[in-house]
Amino acid sequence: MIDLLPGINSTSSALDAERVRMDVISENIANADTTKGIDGKPYRRQQVVFESVLNAQQASEAGGSIPQSTQVVRIDKDTRAPRMVYNPSHPDANGQGMVALPNINIHEEMVDMIASSRSYEANLAVVKNARTMAMQDLSIGKH
Amino acid sequence: MDVLSAIKMVAGSQNSAPLTDIAQKGVTPSIPVYDLKEINTDMAPQSVGAAQSSGSFQNLLTNFVGEVNDKQVAASDSVAGLLSGKNVSLHQAMISMEEASVSFQMMVEVRNKLLDSYQELMRMQV
Repeated sequence: MIDLLPGINSTSSALDAERVRMDVISENIANADTTKGIDGKPYRRQQVVFESVLNAQQASEAGGSIPQSTQVVRIDKDTRAPRMVYNPSHPDANGQGMVALPNINIHEEMVDMIASSRSYEANLAVVKNARTMAMQDLSIGKH
Repeated sequence: MDVLSAIKMVAGSQNSAPLTDIAQKGVTPSIPVYDLKEINTDMAPQSVGAAQSSGSFQNLLTNFVGEVNDKQVAASDSVAGLLSGKNVSLHQAMISMEEASVSFQMMVEVRNKLLDSYQELMRMQV
């Protein structure tokens, strides 16, 4: 296949990964007050782990400069303890009247969201520039 | 590629070395041909008929047009997948459309260049 847009495969994979990250952040924000998850315990904060996928490609085609792309390898659970809030009237309160709320800090999630959206923007700028470069290449020799 | 090898590629296979013939017959060009050849020793002039790895130039062009068509089909597939709720993300659809657009532009440019060179040849004094 002809490769007209430089670096477009890496950028595309990064955009995919950022979408997964955004999914996870939205899940965290949506469940910031979930006291009972599927396992009966309060929801735990999740975070994505990115990994570049050079290794697999390098094993298959050992060569010089293979473009590295990125992907989400796993979605980890945050191991911090749940927030304990005194609220005896809550149905999920324990014997001392404490309710275990998820270990989610909304501000932290907002910062993560800003980071994610900025890096999405950066990758889109790469796409835009790749296109501009290709179009400028095509106008070589015109006046 | 220097001008000499470019003209040779256009000139085709039936008269493979007209310029060297001219040089040997005494119509001395200002730069001797062997000097020109030494400029790019690694890049032997290839005529249109000379078999490259992918066959003739016509095959090359047909393959290229086929690839551009493939990209268009892939773009419309991804847009259809996006609109029908399959596992295609928005940016994938946009990128494949972008690729299709750029490769189509590339094809148009190649066609323009070919047509230009044809018209240039037709205008040539005989």
